[in-house]
Amino acid sequence: MAIRKKQPTRDIMDSYFEDLEIEFERWRETFLERPSWNLKAGTMEPLKDMKVTTTEVVATMDLPLTVESSLQVKPLDNETLEISAKMKRTVHFEEFGVTHHKGEFQRFHAHVRVPVPVKIDDMKIKFKKGLLEIHIPRKRGR
Amino acid sequence: MSEEVNIVERQSIPQGAMIFLGFPDVGLVGVIAAEHLVSELGLVEVAYVDSKLLPPLIVLHDGLPHSPIRVFGKDKLLLAVSETPIPGDIIYQVMYALIDWAKKKDVKMMVSLSGIPIQDRQDLKELKVFAAASNQNVLKMAQDKGIETLSEGYMVGPQAVLLQRSARMGMPALALMSQCFLNYPDPEAAAEVLKSLAMVTGVKVDVAKLLEKGEEIRLKARDVMQRTQQEMTKMKKSQELDLPMYVS
Repeated sequence: MAIRKKQPTRDIMDSYFEDLEIEFERWRETFLERPSWNLKAGTMEPLKDMKVTTTEVVATMDLPLTVESSLQVKPLDNETLEISAKMKRTVHFEEFGVTHHKGEFQRFHAHVRVPVPVKIDDMKIKFKKGLLEIHIPRKRGR
Repeated sequence: MSEEVNIVERQSIPQGAMIFLGFPDVGLVGVIAAEHLVSELGLVEVAYVDSKLLPPLIVLHDGLPHSPIRVFGKDKLLLAVSETPIPGDIIYQVMYALIDWAKKKDVKMMVSLSGIPIQDRQDLKELKVFAAASNQNVLKMAQDKGIETLSEGYMVGPQAVLLQRSARMGMPALALMSQCFLNYPDPEAAAEVLKSLAMVTGVKVDVAKLLEKGEEIRLKARDVMQRTQQEMTKMKKSQELDLPMYVS
């Protein structure tokens, strides 16, 4: 008869706290009101999403009008990525019908915080039709 | 219940029209499709939704206030569209008001344009459109045009209320849903749903322009998509991904 190794309490607790962290991150992003643009930096924040599986973290980002060769995904530490990309053209407020703000945007810029321990140096990146996909393998244990 | 929500007519509305609905939902499919219909068919605002239940919000166009939920139209075609997500706790009231109003106008059919999220959407070359309806005749009409039926599963949001109430009132209603991104604006999915709409209703628009402008639309729809994500989370939209427990 096979004996199941490990699994019990600690893993269950880890998994519980990981879920809690993800939920908190989602909650924080949902309720923290701020504009999706930064006039001073000339950047727009892209829409982003994250999925945590048993083996990896998959972060995606919608980056329309992006110059693919300008795309940069840079780890800032073990749990934070900085994403930056140049747009194919300068975007002005007027294009949104907005005339009470003046300014323009040339880049996308965002930070992604990974909610579980990962091997950030082993991340793999896919970019297709303006959609960025970052795959980061998870670290085993805490 | 619908007395709390009024449909204010700006001009005379013909009897026996068809009404399409495009509300913020997954991939903003309905809103993108609706916006394209308005511009391609030259639809004008003919009515709007007025209610104290709505958030204290107006949409300014050329400095003048407009309701975020408006009905556009031309001849015997009406299109209800919302520029902001409808809060989950008032969807019943808003939809009941619209359906009751449509009933009074002897509307021929109501068609909701929306999406159905799918994993690995970015890897799909062709998007399928699925249909669900308020009765067997309408469902067969879609099936006869080659549109697959969404046979089992959960539906959350305005189209769920549309089908439920229309079924109860004996009104023909159809929900067309294209496979799409959950959290990203999806103009390609909007184009697919418009193609299916043309097959079912004969209302055709050129979707080439919509596809050409795809990246621009995705850029401009970011904030509405963000707000829509928040409402979808609150109304537990992810239940649409649950595996149903079949009860015969």
